[in-house]
Amino acid sequence: MSAEPEKILRDLRDLWVQLGHDQEASGGVLRACAMTLLVVAEDQDDAERVRRTMGVLMHDHPCRAIVLRMSEGAEVDARVFAECWVPYGGNQQICAEGVEVTAGAAKLNEVIRLLVPLIVPDLPVVLWHRGGHAFAPGGFDALFPLAGKIVFDSGTASDADAAITVLRELRKRGPRVADLAWARLTGWREVLAQTFDDCTPSVSSVWVTYGGASPSSSVRYFARWIQQALPSAAVGIESASGEPGVHSVTLSGKDTEIAITLADASSVEIRTGKRGCRFKLPPASDDALMREELGIVGDDAVFDRVLT
Amino acid sequence: MPETNPFADPLRFERRVPECAIVIFGANGDLTKRKLLPALYRLAYERRLPASFAIIGNSRTPLSDDAFRDKMHESVKQFLEDSPFDEELWAGFARNLYYIGGDLNDPKMYADLGTKLGTLGKSNVLYYLSTQPSYYEPVADSLGAAKLAEHRPEGWRRIVIEKPFGHDLQSARALNTGIHRVFSEDDVYRIDHYLGKETVQNIIAFRFGNGIFEPLWNRRYINHVQITAAESIGVEGRGAYYQEAGALRDMIQNHLLQVLATIAMEPSAVFEPDAVRDERAKLLRAIKTLRPEEVPLNAVAGQYRGFRQEPGVKPDAQVDTFAAATFLIDNWRWAGVPFYVRSGKKLPKRVTDIAIQFNEAPYALFSSANGSSPMRPNLLILRIQPEEGISLRFLSKQPGSGMMLRPVSMDFNYGSSFGERSPTAYETLLVDALQGDATLYTRQDMVEASWRAVQPILDDWSSRNFDFPNYEPGTWGPPAADEMLKRHGHQWRNS
Repeated sequence: MSAEPEKILRDLRDLWVQLGHDQEASGGVLRACAMTLLVVAEDQDDAERVRRTMGVLMHDHPCRAIVLRMSEGAEVDARVFAECWVPYGGNQQICAEGVEVTAGAAKLNEVIRLLVPLIVPDLPVVLWHRGGHAFAPGGFDALFPLAGKIVFDSGTASDADAAITVLRELRKRGPRVADLAWARLTGWREVLAQTFDDCTPSVSSVWVTYGGASPSSSVRYFARWIQQALPSAAVGIESASGEPGVHSVTLSGKDTEIAITLADASSVEIRTGKRGCRFKLPPASDDALMREELGIVGDDAVFDRVLT
Repeated sequence: MPETNPFADPLRFERRVPECAIVIFGANGDLTKRKLLPALYRLAYERRLPASFAIIGNSRTPLSDDAFRDKMHESVKQFLEDSPFDEELWAGFARNLYYIGGDLNDPKMYADLGTKLGTLGKSNVLYYLSTQPSYYEPVADSLGAAKLAEHRPEGWRRIVIEKPFGHDLQSARALNTGIHRVFSEDDVYRIDHYLGKETVQNIIAFRFGNGIFEPLWNRRYINHVQITAAESIGVEGRGAYYQEAGALRDMIQNHLLQVLATIAMEPSAVFEPDAVRDERAKLLRAIKTLRPEEVPLNAVAGQYRGFRQEPGVKPDAQVDTFAAATFLIDNWRWAGVPFYVRSGKKLPKRVTDIAIQFNEAPYALFSSANGSSPMRPNLLILRIQPEEGISLRFLSKQPGSGMMLRPVSMDFNYGSSFGERSPTAYETLLVDALQGDATLYTRQDMVEASWRAVQPILDDWSSRNFDFPNYEPGTWGPPAADEMLKRHGHQWRNS
């Protein structure tokens, strides 16, 4: 193995010393670390995207980021990096550290031996398993025991049903599982929940419309969540033209007609009777979704119920 | 959100506001423009306001609903902090803004307000008094006379008032009595925006969420406590108001004594509004009342050079732009531990922090780098603003041969560990009031207890003729403030 954990840890220490020297005049740098975040990137391009995402994400969740990039036939190699920023209103630079590990798929066991000593002790460990290949059998399962929470994105899988089944089975085996496809629904769910804040309208049927050739995992989660909340209502999904994802949800019943419709890419309109109101949806970029997921360190009972 | 909501997901959804109307008296004023409307817009942006909320503004100026919306549009755009402004969202938000012009003494205005609330079908109503304090009682009386203050079977009526809650103990009591003629104490929300700050709330988390500090949090281990709220700016055009208030009334009696209470109170049995406020009130009541002859040794008034030349300020103004006081707490936990509190304008920098100085080790085993014994090396600093966070200072061995010690600092920076945008104090407090959570609001007994603590100082200062100005802008106040600590063998942290 060309990358040795001791050497990487030494490189990290040297990196901090160097950063401290560089910023001595402005009061030095502040090291921040709230967790270890292991990221499995799909390929070289994806690793670049991950680096950009980490740059944003580290402001909210400073961590030791370990980005694992698989490259066919490559030996295990590693390099260290830091992401630094000056917080709003502050004058001291804050930095979080990272390690990029490159290896061929055949070297996964060596990679795991490398990762174990690099994990920051006493803090949570989250594994972000990116891309559709995360749902392929075998793959990176050996990494799962390292993490307390594993984040997937079933929205990238070619078969939504199969992806949800993989997550359900994994959850049954014990690890905490999260899905960015579920986090994408938070804005929709919050707006729908709001209509039930002050009273519980009588609802007998619910229709969710979606775009795309088949219902995505988000659409399936949404319908299932509604069904669990309103067990006596008939919940159906139907396709509509347009971009993939949820397009609308309509709840009907005696004296009840609530319609929430996608108004544009970033907002929904809610109509209850004659009243209408527009709400902004939260951003759905990878960093925004991960920010939400990394904010949840314990069990997510609502998602668990929907998943299983 | 009620527990009965079948779609509840408290882990991911923010706390939301129930269907209601917010009536702002003084809607043309600075507070509304700079703080209240931006906070309400931000709550709408985060989907925390229901679709059917309503905001009704009132002031003397005649305005149409649309003209009021246009004014607020400009204000929110200008004063929104750390957030993008979205025109489309504003269009929806603005549809729920209404305006009623009219004098606060005019019964017709209240009749119009009642009609408007009836038309909008609002049963839950929060009245926000962003007016001159002299209007608090008349507005409450008028709301009562117009039958707008009574709880309905289907909804609540609450009132929010801004500080100052009186200008001394007597007037505070009179104000409370006046407000209580119409609103019960449970429906009165006295706002102290300091308590809404994330970092002030974090003091409670720090003290009662961790097991390692509380055993040290008493007279046996803590030598003294310093609370500083310094501003580098002057009165900035508020000279006329400020010369009636002063630093002791404007900052110490309310904000800083509430912070002191948060630092020193006992843990409550449960984290519920009245349980927490009971503990704060008990602590404030335990502050030792100074005897008249003790005041000169335990309180210092200052005024910066140039204050009397500010617009609206009398050339012989006696008001304090700097105040410092030593408070002692008469209970088992804190007996004999001085709490030094100071606040001032035109000081070297803007900083609010709390420094908890621990006692030195019982025996000095080591020498410091210069050969002297290190004095009280352990200092815990809770930084409220700017750069919110916590620092702990302790001694460490200096590299090299020999056992030479040097103080080092271990820092926790709130902004770096939680980079997410923090809600402003007004966002937090508005949601609390609308949800009926008064934990961070000041109760009548707390207000009266804090006035009681400063009343001897006010009485002494009102009978004296100070030789002002007594400090230069850009310094840490008058020398007498340093001498006050020196008498106890202490000194201010001026860093």
